[in-house]
Amino acid sequence: MAAASKAAISSSAVLGSISTLNNPSLLKMSYYFTILSPTDTPLFNIAFGTSKGGGDGIARFRFPETAQYMNQFIIHSSLDILEEAQWTNGGMYLKHIDTYPPAAAYISAFLTPSGARFLLLHQPPNLPSSTSSSSGLGSSSLLGTAGSTTRASSSSIAANPTSPQTEEAVRQFMNEVYENYVKTAMSPFYKQGMEIKSPVFRTRVTAAGKKWL
Amino acid sequence: MTSPGDAAPVKPPPSFSPGVARVASTSPSRYPGEHETTQSLDAELAESQTVSSPTPLSATVAELPIRSGSSHSRSGRSSTPQLARSSIGSPFDGRSDGSEDIRSSIIRSFSPTIAVHASEDTDDLVRSKGFKGGFWELIRPFGETVSGKVVIRDSIGSSRAWEDYGVRFADFKGIGRTPLNRDSGPLAQMEEVLTKQLDSSGGMLGASVRTKDVLGLPATTPLCKSFLQQLLCSAPTAPHETFGHPVANVIAISSRNAAPLETLRQLYADGTTGNKQLPDWVNQEYLRYYVLVHDEERDNITESIKLYDQMKRHFGLHCHLLRLRSSQCVVTDDDSMQVPQCEWLSPSEHLSGAEALVDLGTDGTPYLFGSDATAIRAFIRELVVQSVIPFMENKVAVWNDQVASRRRGISGRFMSMSRRWAGFGSSSRSSIGGSSGGISGNYDPTQHSYSPDSPEAILRKMADFAFMLRDWKLAASTYEMIRSDYGNDKAWKYHAGAHEMCAVSMLLNPLATSAKIKLESVDQMFETACYSYLTRCSDAPHALRCLSLAVELLKSRGGSATESAAKWAMRVMDFGLVGSVGQILYTERVAACYASKTPVGAAKWGGRRRKAGMWRILAADQWLKAGQPTLASACLEEAERLYADVLQADGVFPMPEMQSFVDNLRHAVKVEYLGARGFDTRDAPASEDPLATEETSEKLDMRHHRRSLVGPPMQLDAGALNATQGPLDPQSPPNDDFERA
Repeated sequence: MAAASKAAISSSAVLGSISTLNNPSLLKMSYYFTILSPTDTPLFNIAFGTSKGGGDGIARFRFPETAQYMNQFIIHSSLDILEEAQWTNGGMYLKHIDTYPPAAAYISAFLTPSGARFLLLHQPPNLPSSTSSSSGLGSSSLLGTAGSTTRASSSSIAANPTSPQTEEAVRQFMNEVYENYVKTAMSPFYKQGMEIKSPVFRTRVTAAGKKWL
Repeated sequence: MTSPGDAAPVKPPPSFSPGVARVASTSPSRYPGEHETTQSLDAELAESQTVSSPTPLSATVAELPIRSGSSHSRSGRSSTPQLARSSIGSPFDGRSDGSEDIRSSIIRSFSPTIAVHASEDTDDLVRSKGFKGGFWELIRPFGETVSGKVVIRDSIGSSRAWEDYGVRFADFKGIGRTPLNRDSGPLAQMEEVLTKQLDSSGGMLGASVRTKDVLGLPATTPLCKSFLQQLLCSAPTAPHETFGHPVANVIAISSRNAAPLETLRQLYADGTTGNKQLPDWVNQEYLRYYVLVHDEERDNITESIKLYDQMKRHFGLHCHLLRLRSSQCVVTDDDSMQVPQCEWLSPSEHLSGAEALVDLGTDGTPYLFGSDATAIRAFIRELVVQSVIPFMENKVAVWNDQVASRRRGISGRFMSMSRRWAGFGSSSRSSIGGSSGGISGNYDPTQHSYSPDSPEAILRKMADFAFMLRDWKLAASTYEMIRSDYGNDKAWKYHAGAHEMCAVSMLLNPLATSAKIKLESVDQMFETACYSYLTRCSDAPHALRCLSLAVELLKSRGGSATESAAKWAMRVMDFGLVGSVGQILYTERVAACYASKTPVGAAKWGGRRRKAGMWRILAADQWLKAGQPTLASACLEEAERLYADVLQADGVFPMPEMQSFVDNLRHAVKVEYLGARGFDTRDAPASEDPLATEETSEKLDMRHHRRSLVGPPMQLDAGALNATQGPLDPQSPPNDDFERA
């Protein structure tokens, strides 16, 4: 365990020296998670922010408060790519499939056997100017990673939404949500295609988000 | 080489001449019926307002200026080469008219520049005809299309006939001088022109006149096309690319001149010495062409013919006798015709032209006698076909032989390799100079230019000539060869230009199929060009031109290239190269790029309908914010059509926030539109009862989609529907049946 954490520290230190963004106070990723039925109807929506690195778990998207529909537009438009990707990729987790460059929004997708799709939009915060973020870079990134190994991986998630660490973290999140989704869908009171209103499910998704993202 | 004798084009077999009919259909007014459409819309609107005061939303929205089906006009000219020998079909045969049109525009924008240097008496003669700018202004509009086919032989000896060949006449005194600045760059001017066009046209310019491609998707708006044209001709003459450098110089005198040969000598000398001389980075090896303008009304033709014979004896073949009438033509004269509009006007000319029009009232364009127009056309055809094209072909062949092949050979490669290493190592540079020209000594960093006789400059000129002769294969290989040299010399503008043109000529080459050229390498070249232009030279106009070319050409490639086209369009917006109206135009371009990616196979995957729809909706939102409800409603309409395939049958968005946003947008557009047209929006019940509105608007969607599935809505059809819908209850079942049938 100690060896693993050491490796993580050293790798993240390298990352930190490459990326000037590795300052935890500036790395509040925002997430928007949606479950879509096979007919594209949304079954479940949740928006949350990162809880890692001192994040408070509140989503702060780049759009103004009045333009939150943009998340849905972006998710909806990425279905074009999803429909293409699902035939070329054998796995259930399709990884990062799409980006929306004007807002730097990244979409990851997960397919379930029943045809429901999990889509996660993740968006790094507005990039601060490199001069402000480079101050105290080395020390803070090392302090942030010294706490635990998951923290080490989380700080690199935020630094680079397409990195393998992020893919892995999103995969863990998706798997956990999938387990909970199966349990919820097996409930006798739930019919296929119904909106998921269960508060238990919502808290579990929130917990998974806290744990992995 | 094409000698003047065999100028008769090698005719393709009759079965393979699709372009002929198209040329016949080109008329000065390309979009007849534009104004009728708008007026009838207004009339209908007024009618429905009076007949049924609680106008159902469905009716009003249907009457919003939707793309009229009647404006289905084919693009005037085709840039598809008609191969003389082999009948290799163009890979773009199945492509949309619109993108073909854009391609043709792009190709024609890189046409040879011919300087016009006229004597004072010639300019006086032409001024008396009502052309204030003199001889140059008179012949300029006619140069943009050379009548008939122009046959060009490429480097491997095969001939092709082009129907849309043109040349650009430039005022000799203006070349290389910075134009009178209106204390704003070309980009700001373009934005200004756009705003003016929007205001003057009341929005109809962008909305109702559209060319449609096979699928019924609009390919481009006139606004967008005019933006692109201005962009392509806004670049001033610069050292790093030779498209603006004169290929030939037309020296004109008139029959009024007392000492004609002396004047000719003087005009010739102006080109090489004196203060009218071209900048020293312009290659002086251009063709001189001598024109004698004969005044039909005041001077004796026998005298002129005698003088002309004398000129021919002195100067050889490159002479022409142009017979014009000197009196001014007015509309009422028999045989009068309007001078065609210049297609390629730079933004500053657009702005000054607009002011002139306001001054003069309505008839700003002068008239010309038909006989004069015929004479000018014949003159330009002779100039281009018999002198300019053979001259350029000859130059390309000579340079290819003397300069390029030396570089291509094994020793040339060795030279350029040793040059590359020389920079790292010792100062052995000077010894390697030799035959392949100097090392980096040819580049003058203070002037930011190469001297015109250095191999780097000549190769660039040769590549540009090949490009203008539409021999893209040779052009691409030459640009490819020299682009790294410029990087070694740190000649960043040359570097950027060579990368840009290399990518463009690769994309234009119709015989290289998309599988053959690597899109990644093209992307990489655009990336490099853009970086060099923007970061190293901070030359925003060229960067914007480069990116726009990338967008349009990649889009016309189709397939997976459309994705990178969309990416470049987003990059334009990201860099902030365009103003607020330009941002909206590029939003529309992104949508058009995605929309042009068509789904393949039975599974219908690979389309980008949702993305296109989203961008259209964003564009509609922005148009509305810019105060252009007409354009916004056109975008909205377009978005609905794009979404029709991907949404469930009733056209309702599955996501509630999207649905409410679209509903609000639709409503706001309608209110703004009616307000702009002078209708009292308070009467409309929609603004009072949002719930009812929502219901009816869904009804509308349903009906609309059904119609669009059957086929593109026809103008007549729409009119009939509106007429019946007004008084009837829109929810009555017979109405539905009628439509379904």
